[in-house]
Amino acid sequence: MDKRAKAGKGASYFLALIWIAATTAPLILAVLSSFKDNAEIYLHPWQLPKSWDVSNYIRAIRDVGALQAIGNTLLVSFLTAGGVLLVALLASYPMSRKNLRWVRASYTLFVLAVMIPIHTTLIPISSLASTWKAKNQYWYLICVYIAFNMAQSIFLVSGSMNGISREIDDAAIIDGCGDFRLLFRILTPICKPILATEAIFAFVYAYGELIFSLTLISDSKMFTVSRAILSFYGDGDMALGPIFAFIVLSTIPSVLVYILFHNQIQKGVMNGAIKG
Amino acid sequence: MRHKLRDHMISLLFLLPALTLLMIFVLYPTLSTIKLSFHSWKGIYGVPQKFVGFSNYVKVLTSDTFWNAMLNSFYFMMGTFFILMPLSFGLALLVTSRLRYTGFMKTMYYLPVMLGTTTVALMWKCILDPNAGILAGILNSMGLEEYIMDWLNTPTVNVWVTVLINEWKFAGYNMLIFVAGITSIPEITVEAAMIDGCNYWQRLRYIVLPLCKNSFKIFAILGITGCLKVFDIIWAMTGGGPNDVSSTPGVMIYQFAYTYKKYGRSAAIAVLLLIMGVTLSMVCNRVLKQENIY
Repeated sequence: MDKRAKAGKGASYFLALIWIAATTAPLILAVLSSFKDNAEIYLHPWQLPKSWDVSNYIRAIRDVGALQAIGNTLLVSFLTAGGVLLVALLASYPMSRKNLRWVRASYTLFVLAVMIPIHTTLIPISSLASTWKAKNQYWYLICVYIAFNMAQSIFLVSGSMNGISREIDDAAIIDGCGDFRLLFRILTPICKPILATEAIFAFVYAYGELIFSLTLISDSKMFTVSRAILSFYGDGDMALGPIFAFIVLSTIPSVLVYILFHNQIQKGVMNGAIKG
Repeated sequence: MRHKLRDHMISLLFLLPALTLLMIFVLYPTLSTIKLSFHSWKGIYGVPQKFVGFSNYVKVLTSDTFWNAMLNSFYFMMGTFFILMPLSFGLALLVTSRLRYTGFMKTMYYLPVMLGTTTVALMWKCILDPNAGILAGILNSMGLEEYIMDWLNTPTVNVWVTVLINEWKFAGYNMLIFVAGITSIPEITVEAAMIDGCNYWQRLRYIVLPLCKNSFKIFAILGITGCLKVFDIIWAMTGGGPNDVSSTPGVMIYQFAYTYKKYGRSAAIAVLLLIMGVTLSMVCNRVLKQENIY
């Protein structure tokens, strides 16, 4: 290898390292700070904490209800992910297997609907919640989340179903499969990779969503993480330690999901980028 | 014939949940917002809306706050094209290169995307706090006290700080859009160029960049429409303050409805946002499609 190529390689590693530092440094600081008090955070941000004192975590759990908020968010996120899968699977089946004109038209309708910004629907959705007495009801929030996540899933799942040979259908029908069994017993298992990816994306969306949880949920016992975090604002001189403890606790589920599924997530984004 | 009818019935049954959700939560609200934008309403349940014609639009379009919010969206757009695009394309080149540990790099670069926006915002808020924050402490220990400022309360500075944090969070996501483009280039094309004696920069300029045009198109559409919709990160970092200087159209929609109870005004901004979003994404599609011809 000549000298220039070597230098280029070194420079590349250096740049790669800089951005790794940029993405991880704030997270490392957050973890370190979650064991410190304000003075120690300010004076010795990079040092390991003097003692691994969990009192910040206890305060985050007792005073701000960190665990409650995380539990709420997990519940909402799992139900959203499941709902998106069910709705998308059901809708994808006729779109991929039944060649009817109005079904094709409804596909176009979904394509157009994706262009509508969430903000445009904000006021009517919260008015409707008042009419239906659905404020502070998770089922309503989850329905909204499903509504804004299903279009993307329908495109990808029906696309993946289109790739499955019709001969499989014919064989199943001869064996006496009806539409339901064809969809859930034959096609669903084949589409598993894309379904898993879509479920993860719906989960991540619901875990971090803010504007609807802000307008539809006002009962502080029902707050999701992103909403509960906002309640830290406003205190004049805040104790930073418990805040960092809350941040660390609330990122654990996302980081776990990421550690388990990072390959799937990355493939999913790239698939979406090619099809989009 | 009976078979056909059965197909219609089954299709309707299967599409029913999706179509119902689409009608109730996307299409009806959009139409309702368009109607509301021509009315005056204080959001009191049961009190009728009063028709006011275009006056909501006139008020919005003649207010400084709205144009300032648009300017902030424009800052986000500048950040998208001048910081995020080179950054994420550069990261994509790194993780698709022949270096070692590229899988690890990709995983680390995507990590911030996974964290909730408000979590990221609060974390940075604590780091940037001028009195007790970590950055202030670091600057202090280096003897650079004069550079400590109230980053999130200084006009325009706070918008740019938020723009940078936004790029920090989403660089990994956009990196993957470019990775999809770069890995779809047939290896044989690159090898042919190498045999012809092209160096790295020439291959980048004449092969990789042109063949990634589709990725740039997706990046542009997502970036531009995303900038119009900025809400979470601003709301969590600055709340649009001080005095609306860091507001965005998304924040204004929320504030006019739920803080000032001027629902008509809020709806008018929402409709403007809808029109801009749809127009811009169509324009982007058109412009970038034409470039594909030659």
